[in-house]
Amino acid sequence: MTLQYCLLVLTAPASGHTSLTAARFAAALVARGHTLSRVFFLDNGTSNGLATAITPQDERSPQQAWSALADANGTELVLCVSSAVKRGLLDSAEAQRHGFPAATVHPGFTLGGLGLLVEAMQSADRVVTFGAPA
Amino acid sequence: MKAAAQGGVLVVTRHPQPGRSLARSALDTALATAAFEQPVNLLFLGAGVLQLLPEQDSSGVGVRNLRKVIDSMPLYDMEHCYVDAEAAARAGLTATDLPPGAILVDHKALRALFDNHRHILGF
Amino acid sequence: MLHTLNCSPGHPAVQDCITLLQQEDALLLLGDGVYIALENSQSWQALQASGATLHVLEPDASAAGVKHRLAPCFTLVDDAGFVALSELHAQQMAWY
Repeated sequence: MTLQYCLLVLTAPASGHTSLTAARFAAALVARGHTLSRVFFLDNGTSNGLATAITPQDERSPQQAWSALADANGTELVLCVSSAVKRGLLDSAEAQRHGFPAATVHPGFTLGGLGLLVEAMQSADRVVTFGAPA
Repeated sequence: MKAAAQGGVLVVTRHPQPGRSLARSALDTALATAAFEQPVNLLFLGAGVLQLLPEQDSSGVGVRNLRKVIDSMPLYDMEHCYVDAEAAARAGLTATDLPPGAILVDHKALRALFDNHRHILGF
Repeated sequence: MLHTLNCSPGHPAVQDCITLLQQEDALLLLGDGVYIALENSQSWQALQASGATLHVLEPDASAAGVKHRLAPCFTLVDDAGFVALSELHAQQMAWY
């Protein structure tokens, strides 16, 4: 049976590898034939979309893991806009609005409101949350 | 305990406020779900009940007063919230300390509350 | 219900999780939670007493060095096994 999933990611790549676990879970559910139309990043989770985060060469980049998922399956990667801008994650519109020269959000991600999480939960058979101790 | 909305989303908030923004995010998520007219309940569990301490003045630390936001929930069609009764007792919270519409839930009834919801969000 | 537990032994989330954990549930330890499954830690006894099925995420157990020191009540699952647990249980609660 094919299930529709929605993932909520609350943890930042810098505080452990739980966001990478979430990205692997996402890839594994798609590999099992399920669908994942949207991943919502909230609170510290929005740091997953930071374009200027540099991952050491011998470690896996969470952004690459997420954007590979988006490229292969069309999964939308949405960063909660209020959590994101608070953490310096700006798309080009927000950067312009606040007078910064460039966007800091990775192009694979978009900014959006909590309504997009509400909408994804409504149509989802499964909602899986990923958080980690501070 | 009054019956929870069948189906819908249960937002479980377990972290106290000043140290972590998660408490605020949990509240925002519950309020947004209600704003989109989807059934939602909020449960203060474990250390999350510390968000309900009534004498909060956050002007000194420069963040928003969470208790004020919690007290405004009925304006957003969230008439009730659920509170872990054992944790509230441990924190010394009495009935008069709790926000309007708060329903105390003992540990035996907690499980039924979880089971009554389609999705659970753990904050 | 599927419970995912991601915190060290002794963290308050462990006790909150035990309060809700029932026989028909599955519990998956991940992240720092894998230390709870260490055979000598005894932290898993209350989890076992619930009657729930107990699992540990394999990559995390390997990374922490606990993979070969697990209490016998735990089963290792890979990412696909984690998804399979979420298929079986309509609700998930993240404890951390």
